Amino acid sequence: MNSLTIFKNAYFKFLEVIVVAIMIALASVVTVGFLSRFFGSPFSWYDEVASVGLAWLTYYGAALAAAKGAHIGCPTVVNYFPPSIRLPIALLAEAITIGFFVLLAYTGTQVVLILEGSTLISLTSVSVQLTQSAIPIGAVLFIIAELLHLPEVIASAKGKGFTDHELEEAGLSYDKASITTKQ
Amino acid sequence: MIIFLMFVGLICLILINVPVAIALGIVGAVATVSSYGVSALPNVAMVMFDGATKFPLIAIPLFILAGAIMNASSISRRLIDLASALLGFIKGGLSMVTIGASIFFAEISGSAVAGVSAIGSIMIPAMKKKGYTKEFSAAISSSAASLAIILPPSIPMILYAVMSGVSVVKMFVAGILPGILGALGLAAMCYYLAKKNNFPSEGEFRAKKLWEAFKGAIWALFIPVIILGGIFGGIVTATEGAALAVVVAIFISTIVYREFNLRIFYKSCLDAGVQTAVVMLLVASSAVVGLYLTETQLPQQLANSISDMTDNKYIILALLNVIFLILGIFLHSAAAIILVVPIVLPLILAVGIDPVHFGLIVTLNLAIGQQTPPVASVLIASCSIAKSDIWATSRTNLWFLAVLFVILIINTYIPAFALSLVNLVYGT
Repeated sequence: MNSLTIFKNAYFKFLEVIVVAIMIALASVVTVGFLSRFFGSPFSWYDEVASVGLAWLTYYGAALAAAKGAHIGCPTVVNYFPPSIRLPIALLAEAITIGFFVLLAYTGTQVVLILEGSTLISLTSVSVQLTQSAIPIGAVLFIIAELLHLPEVIASAKGKGFTDHELEEAGLSYDKASITTKQ
Repeated sequence: MIIFLMFVGLICLILINVPVAIALGIVGAVATVSSYGVSALPNVAMVMFDGATKFPLIAIPLFILAGAIMNASSISRRLIDLASALLGFIKGGLSMVTIGASIFFAEISGSAVAGVSAIGSIMIPAMKKKGYTKEFSAAISSSAASLAIILPPSIPMILYAVMSGVSVVKMFVAGILPGILGALGLAAMCYYLAKKNNFPSEGEFRAKKLWEAFKGAIWALFIPVIILGGIFGGIVTATEGAALAVVVAIFISTIVYREFNLRIFYKSCLDAGVQTAVVMLLVASSAVVGLYLTETQLPQQLANSISDMTDNKYIILALLNVIFLILGIFLHSAAAIILVVPIVLPLILAVGIDPVHFGLIVTLNLAIGQQTPPVASVLIASCSIAKSDIWATSRTNLWFLAVLFVILIINTYIPAFALSLVNLVYGT
């Protein structure tokens, strides 16, 4: 196993641990929030914190989804082209995707700087800079994940084309379903 | 002009396989800069953060997590045993069992692909063994699982409710009657095809067998009782109901079935996290485009110009049905909801269509769209298990799509079909 593969596996594991931790925290906050409401003394911070948790899950999870190539796309048209045309198109799409997250990381950092001194409404000890940091950090993590996933994108573009990630996760694949004719 | 360029840019980006969420973000950012200058760019990041903080959408990861935990235990087999004891005696018994088990499974998981993967992987080989064609086996598994997205808890319904501002719970209630009628319609079609092709039944109905199967599955059925009872009874919100479902799923798989371990929990959290992030990034980036469209009042202008041409809501609904059916062929259901609902909603309200009624129409269209290639995740999953040809399966599936289409038309033109239960529970 070369050092890039070791780094890639470690990085993906790192993202997995973050996402699992956020999932557990989110489920716990909502459960505790419900119980507090059910027993007549609702926590004022519960929905605000849970909403921030969802945003964190979105941006850290988006980086992991990028590592798995799981974001929803429409590869049908690209798959119709031969690999020689498919590859430059796929690289262009990757460049555009990464470019957008570079922009998001930059503007996200600007927002974090602008928000200095702001706090959550229900938890005044928690800085909004901390909650909003998910955007620039998530964007940087996304870019690294996308770059590490690039060899697989190139292999798919050169090979049989792009497949539905949802099927791969379910242990299924397009290959097992035969396609004799395109009608 | 900017709107037209936005539309063209969005189509071009999607066609070259830029993820839909990122395509939306890019188009929104470019439109913001062209209208307000580069200084407005930080606004894009702020809107993308705020767009991901919609509290009701927390139900999505929690329902997926509960479903994944239950699916990791022997729940599929238990639900199939129950459906088999209940429906197996009818002609074409295994296809009836597939429909029944898919409906039971839908009450636990909000995902149709998860449903076809859990139920289809057991039922399709069983059907093939009993002489059902592989195309038929794949087609009924696909249609039954797709029908599941109109039954609560449904992820597309949660998404629609948040995008349109209607109650998630009302959407859930609205789906019950059409979902049950759809299942009965599919069962009737299976019966007809079973008679035609001489598919077997699975022996006689025996009350003892049903009781044994019921005892085996009772804990699995406990989750929908909590979800439906708790949410519809007003004890918990949809989001809290989802969290409760997670707690109960962990309890059942740990204490009752004794099949829970940390590896399953880790994998379930991971599945839920990634699936949610994929949908939520779409929601967040659509907020950037949504803000721009709101400021330019495009949806209102569109509503005015179409309602100037016709204010006949049935013609408008027919037109929207066609649009959603076409979109369903090419787009994932979450992307279709996020792209179209905010634009057409002012039109829907302007011509007096109930947004809950429209939500069910959208969901039914997308249930059909999940089975129309090339973008047909549920059908492809089913064909992949059956090792059948997608187009040959699609031909067989036309029988079942016809049933779903009839349910769609009934639902479109008889609003009471979707709304009677909502009005009964919540008043008009």
